[in-house]
Amino acid sequence: CSKFTKLQKSTNVEEKYQAAVNYYTKKDYNKASLLFEEIIPLIQGTPEAERAQFYLANAHFQQRDYILSAHYFKKFYETYSRSEFAEEAMYLYAYSLYEDSPSYNLDQTNTYTAIEAMQTFINAYPGSKYKEKCNEIIALLRAKLERKAYENAELYSHKEDYKAAVVAFENFQRSYPDSDYNERAAYLKLVNAYNLAKSSTEAKKRERYESTIEYYENFIDKYAKSRYLREAENIYEACVKIVGEAAGAELQSTKK
Amino acid sequence: SATPSVSYSEPKEYEIAEITVSGARFLDPNALISISGLKVGDRIKVPGDDISNAIKRLWDQGILGDVRISYTKIEGDKIYLDVFLKERPRLSKFTFKGIKKGEIDALTEKIKLIRGKVVDDALVKNTQMTIKKHFEEKGFLNTSVNMVQVEDTARGNTITLRINVNKKKKVKINELAINGNEVFADNKLRRKLKKTKQKNPLRIFTPSKFIASQYEEDKKKLIAFYNEEGYRDALIVSDSVYAHDENTINVVINLEEGEKYHYRNVTWEGNYVYTDTQLAAVLGINKGDVYNIAELEKKLTFNPNGSDITSLYMDDGYLFFNIEPVEVAIEGDSVDIEMRIVEGPQATINQVRVVGNTRTSDHVILREIRTLPGQKFNRSLLIRTQREISTLGYFNPETVNPVPIPNPADGTVDIEYQVEERPSDQIELSGGWGGGGRNGIGVGFVGTLGVVFNNFSTRKLFKWGEWGGVLPSGDGQRLAVRFQASGRQYQTYSFSFTEPWLGGKKRNSFTLSLNHTVSRPSAGYERYYESLGYNVNTFGSFQISGASLSLGRMLKWPDDYFSLTHALSYQRYQLDNYDIFRIQFGNGVAHNLTFNTTIARNSVDNPIFPRGGSTISLSATFTPPYSVLGITGQIKSTGENGTSPDDISMEYHKWMFDSNWFTPLGLGGKLVLSARAHMGFIGRYNKDSPYTFAERFIMGGSGMAGQGVFFAADIIGLRGYQDQSLLGGPALPGQPQSGIVYNKFVTELRYLISPNPSATIFVLGFLEGGNNWNNYSEFNPFKIRRSAGIGARINMAAFGLLGIDYGWGFDPLPGQKGGQFHFTIGQQFR
Repeated sequence: CSKFTKLQKSTNVEEKYQAAVNYYTKKDYNKASLLFEEIIPLIQGTPEAERAQFYLANAHFQQRDYILSAHYFKKFYETYSRSEFAEEAMYLYAYSLYEDSPSYNLDQTNTYTAIEAMQTFINAYPGSKYKEKCNEIIALLRAKLERKAYENAELYSHKEDYKAAVVAFENFQRSYPDSDYNERAAYLKLVNAYNLAKSSTEAKKRERYESTIEYYENFIDKYAKSRYLREAENIYEACVKIVGEAAGAELQSTKK
Repeated sequence: SATPSVSYSEPKEYEIAEITVSGARFLDPNALISISGLKVGDRIKVPGDDISNAIKRLWDQGILGDVRISYTKIEGDKIYLDVFLKERPRLSKFTFKGIKKGEIDALTEKIKLIRGKVVDDALVKNTQMTIKKHFEEKGFLNTSVNMVQVEDTARGNTITLRINVNKKKKVKINELAINGNEVFADNKLRRKLKKTKQKNPLRIFTPSKFIASQYEEDKKKLIAFYNEEGYRDALIVSDSVYAHDENTINVVINLEEGEKYHYRNVTWEGNYVYTDTQLAAVLGINKGDVYNIAELEKKLTFNPNGSDITSLYMDDGYLFFNIEPVEVAIEGDSVDIEMRIVEGPQATINQVRVVGNTRTSDHVILREIRTLPGQKFNRSLLIRTQREISTLGYFNPETVNPVPIPNPADGTVDIEYQVEERPSDQIELSGGWGGGGRNGIGVGFVGTLGVVFNNFSTRKLFKWGEWGGVLPSGDGQRLAVRFQASGRQYQTYSFSFTEPWLGGKKRNSFTLSLNHTVSRPSAGYERYYESLGYNVNTFGSFQISGASLSLGRMLKWPDDYFSLTHALSYQRYQLDNYDIFRIQFGNGVAHNLTFNTTIARNSVDNPIFPRGGSTISLSATFTPPYSVLGITGQIKSTGENGTSPDDISMEYHKWMFDSNWFTPLGLGGKLVLSARAHMGFIGRYNKDSPYTFAERFIMGGSGMAGQGVFFAADIIGLRGYQDQSLLGGPALPGQPQSGIVYNKFVTELRYLISPNPSATIFVLGFLEGGNNWNNYSEFNPFKIRRSAGIGARINMAAFGLLGIDYGWGFDPLPGQKGGQFHFTIGQQFR
């Protein structure tokens, strides 16, 4: 059998540790992590344990196994908070979570954890050389959440669930007031509100046309040069006409 | 001066002047100090969090038996600390004795011993308890577990744990005595103790054993049974369990039945939205009815088979609705109930989220969700959505969980749908000898390679990073590719692609499928058919190639379980001197251009093991009526005896009806009755033309298609009879050997053994009957061939549904025996 399997079977902890460190420095991270995993339970409480745990975490990180590297980096800085590696471990923990954060249209639990970890890191090491990078990553992750919220609101619009779309776009505007998607969100909210009004029962029609007019006013206040201006104006005109006619009719009937 | 005392009421700040470690034998003091997080020069509060955190950190390593931090002296604001610890031996390995390999594996999972952890009394005791409990749950009440710690010589301060287990004999219940019962018989009550059974050699499925926790549950069930019958005061006065002999025990339960109660007056308090009369009508309880608390609870909170008070409110936004029945008076055998209601405000849905979808895109799930932002909260829609997400097949159906999260501040509610991904792709890979046919002729190697990707994504085809598996996945599209071959003799290729939401606006499915089959009979076939008097020169080959496009959509009317599908298909049959089928067509090309419309309703609650709901489908298929239009007919040019090539267009219309009703019969939804009816009719446009020679019905056996070479026909199963043995009547020479009208009825009783989604298992018993005719003059829907039998199904995520049935045919065909085994792969719909 090979040298490596012999090492795996060996009960000599010191020899195994040395071999693991050698593999690590030669960048054979796979073999290094296998050996470290076996000996770490046996060397806890010794001076070697600290280095071994950091190397194990980093070996997983180098192999792009971010779930495991996040786990081990976290364990490391929780155990050795005074270690010279502690700052790097904490950063790499957050970075592993960032790497593990999935595409916007999947579950974003990891994204939230990554943002939180980055924030915690900045708070713990405000002078760190990684601070700039952290802020960049936080912005990237937030943009992902923003896109998710926007796309899911647009899904309702696409499916012609008008009321759901209006509520979802309103939630989007509230949660991400400085998003680049806001112009289109405001426009689509207007379109959906108009369609909702059109398809409403007589009793609710007027109120809904009126809120459509209000959405239009908010829209042009903010995006006076919008590329959706022409379409928005058409909706506004139609609403004003209907509401005006209704008001006129009401006036007529009260006069009588 | 005297050493200043440390007081919890006034913590002081000190600078650490020195840290020493005492009690360490094998461990390194500096490493321990590093783990503690304390450092010389640090300023810490004493007493304070720094010290307790240091202890916690050391303790969390799991290598110490005891940790204490104290100060040796204090000088001014300088403190000298000492970390005292007790080292414990660590576990290097553990071994079992006295039990089998399988049991060792199961226990190793359970006891969770980690090598390198310290061995203390708690660990030893816990391990011992876990093992004992494991065997007690299996009825080995007298199990003894002996733990031996052996010092390990290979490395200092480590030990090996030797675990000696003696299961002894299984303990059974000799006698289960019930005293004090007058209204119900002993046996009826014993049946209510579901898991605690008296020993009886005839009972196979629930062997007699005694498990304390299950016995406690069973006692509750016994009382619940009495309560359901109106005996609200029933109670177990005393009970005892004692040894009868070495391997058996006796159980005695002493009951007091009490009086049987009835409802008298039901009054309502706190209802503003609905009147007393409206609520009473929904509740449906009348004066004099038996007082059954469980039934009442059902009618108040959740009734799977009808209406209940809570859904009346909760389907209209009243998320915070609460109702509490209070017994306000009990006189004689009569109970007065007051319903105390808190209606609360109506809640509007604000955000709808999905969590846990690590592979499937948001839109695939969100588009199925019926609880939309802006709507009033609605519990029925919530439950329906849960059911529909479960049937998608991408998630574990048992863990789909909708969670309403109310925001009382603004009267809204967010709904979070929690899902858990599971593998949804299926691989079919099989090989073996067979494929020749019913007579063992032309047997050869048969290989099948098929893959079905149920959650495919064409959008991600070129985005490598987002695949989420071996293939791009997550957009809910279905891609199936299948190849089957038995040597040179028979090959079939098929491909299909489905987009369930074409355009993304509505549930309009689009399917494209392609297929191609080639068959060339082997020498063995030729010899066989020659012996039957065929002309060997007529054995050439045939090919079938086809394509079809279909569009389906969900309907809103009559209700939204309905769907409508239209399909346009074209099949081209090319026969080259091929007369085996004796279908009056042996040479040339036949075209089969059809338009199909299917209307179906599907309301089953689970695709693998439905517990309720039904499926109904009515399908009509038409070819253009060539002969009526006078263009060209089925009999355009008939080559004499199959000598000159034909070129014909097939002409027929075909009607199919299928239905399947599921009724839960009890046992917690595990026992379900499935009642099915199927029928099919083929007609012609012109009295003078013959019935179509292809696209007919063949019945018998498992109903699996692709078993043996058959020419374009619907294969319909009938268990208890040989595969494809019912061909529709006497197979006269020169007559097509398949039916034009069939019907079939099935009743199946199913029992769910394991709901585990990675391997769902159920057993079934069936009674069925059916027949197949090749002319309408003999057709009689009641003249069926009957059968009965038993079977089992296992659904594994990666392989789909596998089944085995044994059926006994009561009306066997001449020369056949009654009993037949059938194996199936995949769901058989007919």
